[in-house]
Amino acid sequence: MRRLGVLISLGVLLSVSVTLAACGGSSSSSGTSTTSASGKPLTIGISLSLSGDFSDPGHAAQKGYQLWAKTVNAHGGINGRQVKLKIVDDASSPNQVVTNYQNLITRDKVDLVFGPFSTLLTGPAASVAHRYGYAFVEPAGGGPAVFQEHLNNVFFVQPAPTLNCGDPFVAYIKSLPAAQRPKTAAYPSLDDPFSSPIADRMQKAFEAMGIKTVYKTIYPSETADLTPVVEKYVAKKPDMVVAGTQSEDAYSQVKAMVQSGFSPKYLFLANGANSPTEFPSKVGKKNTEGIFSCGDWFPTSKSNGNPQFVAAYKQAYGGTPFDIDSTSAEAYAVGQLIQAVAKKTGKVDNKTIISSLHSGTWPSVEGNISWNADGSPQGSDMLLEWVGGKLQPVYPPNVALTKPTSPKPPWGG
Amino acid sequence: MHLFIQACILGLLAGGVYALMASGLTLAFGVMRVINVAQGAMIVLGAFLSYTLFTKLHIDPFVSVLLLTPLMFLVGVVLQLVFIRPLRADEREELSLLVTWALALGIEGLLSVLYKTNYRSTITSYADSSWRVAGYHLSEVRVFAFGMSVVILALLYVLLSRTEFGRTVRATVQNPVSARLLGVNVDKVSALGFGISVATATAAGAVFGMVTPFFPGSHYDLISRLLSIIVLGGLGSLGGAIIAALFMGMAEAVFAAEISPTWSSFTFFIVLIAILLVRPQGLFGTNERGAL
Repeated sequence: MRRLGVLISLGVLLSVSVTLAACGGSSSSSGTSTTSASGKPLTIGISLSLSGDFSDPGHAAQKGYQLWAKTVNAHGGINGRQVKLKIVDDASSPNQVVTNYQNLITRDKVDLVFGPFSTLLTGPAASVAHRYGYAFVEPAGGGPAVFQEHLNNVFFVQPAPTLNCGDPFVAYIKSLPAAQRPKTAAYPSLDDPFSSPIADRMQKAFEAMGIKTVYKTIYPSETADLTPVVEKYVAKKPDMVVAGTQSEDAYSQVKAMVQSGFSPKYLFLANGANSPTEFPSKVGKKNTEGIFSCGDWFPTSKSNGNPQFVAAYKQAYGGTPFDIDSTSAEAYAVGQLIQAVAKKTGKVDNKTIISSLHSGTWPSVEGNISWNADGSPQGSDMLLEWVGGKLQPVYPPNVALTKPTSPKPPWGG
Repeated sequence: MHLFIQACILGLLAGGVYALMASGLTLAFGVMRVINVAQGAMIVLGAFLSYTLFTKLHIDPFVSVLLLTPLMFLVGVVLQLVFIRPLRADEREELSLLVTWALALGIEGLLSVLYKTNYRSTITSYADSSWRVAGYHLSEVRVFAFGMSVVILALLYVLLSRTEFGRTVRATVQNPVSARLLGVNVDKVSALGFGISVATATAAGAVFGMVTPFFPGSHYDLISRLLSIIVLGGLGSLGGAIIAALFMGMAEAVFAAEISPTWSSFTFFIVLIAILLVRPQGLFGTNERGAL
């Protein structure tokens, strides 16, 4: 029996410690490329998570990069050089991503490198690129871990750092007449480096505005059922719920609130509610009305080159604009910036890219972006809201496609 | 007090579903001494199959249980014949861990390819409905899920305690050598037992998908919970697994609501360790091979 106990313990340990696929980095050259008359192709090395935990967003990034390469090559390439992408798989592993960039730079001698998916992989990858003097323009590493390395070669191609995603909602609440503002708030958040810090930052700002905190909790990622958490804050009847969520926990909270019949005047979900197709399918379209979230990109945005990007994406991959994963747009924007630097300076070397991007503001499908010395963007995300069954940018006014709806209507209405 | 009672109701409803999930796991161990760490993956597979039937053919998940459990029973029998039976009896406990772990990873990989790694939910027309009883709300889906778990567990109990097959199963659990000497076809009982184990996992998966968003990797968390439940209840004890599952569901819900969700799972494990210190065989386990 004692031996059985050991075996069971081993089973439990196995079940919680084994990670998903940890296969090595297979590689594939992609992107159409033919050498132009003007010279050799511009080879860009990229490590992407084509397997493992981040494989879905990894493939979305791959689509964005490849679409950009195809588009730019169709228009004669960059400074007359056709773009050739060398994409290798890092299996979502921080160790493999380091090996991949090391190989891309020292063995394959690529001209440029573009970033991988996630903060987890961008941090170590950026350090490798920095060691060799390569610019590291990246689409999806927006966490503090990337910027606290103080690397001058990093440029995160989104309007704002990930943790500032709630700032537009704070600004919107601040813009309301005092009588309309919520008086009390609850902050239930996921124990995740990209979830609870967003809510913490918002809580500080709201408390400074005089909005009283009536409930705050951080639940672990393995919390199977969020109904008890929701019951707890429902009992407090807050005017506003600000939840630092990822995806499934956001759906669970909404479902639990619907079942309890409690509808706050204001509901902000950091992530999960910003998916135009996933969210309504998970919580029911009729329950989406009036829910706020945040986003860095929107399919109907009129930002630089966005209508062309959306049209090209639809032509290449089908679907509707709302089926486009924002990661594809983020990756596409990385290429746009390189194009812009080349157009402005006539050069496409790493030194020029780094010095150019550190000065001025650069337009892309992600909006107009500028960076501080650490590669952290200086702009603001947009506030999104479900209005009339559609996810729409509602704040700040310069990017809004419709006015915000508040207070939130009851569930199902 | 209102919140406490509401949390107890929620915990009881969730615990009922966990009891169904754990029943197959403890049955497989009782009959074959197999630690089936693929049980969580089987549940997730059941959730995906039910989800597919619902989204493609509009078959209600509760109805899909009637279709899927016989099918998955056969799959379970085949899996036992292919993967478990060839293992040497004296090394079965150790090797079954590795074999079923490989099976779990295989199922996860297959589901990842077919469905990708996005979260899914089986959302029926009554997913948001709830009844209000004396000021407490009862989610319809959870009540139905609990009810279905009770019915299946009751059928399982009747099967094991009131039928000829059940007697052969219990005989095999208590003493496989004696059972074999008395003419019980232990290999057949083992295959059928594993089939029942997979069938209950599938049924549990159908309701799991209605209550909780899931994705191919959801089985990691599930199996750690289920192993804990059957250890607390006593390995091989069906009644013990049910009691432990209800206790876990209620403990987690009450602690999440009254204290902090951070401590809810931890509390269960503290109780588990404390009980194992006093009763190493679990609440209803025995030091000998015991009855289900």
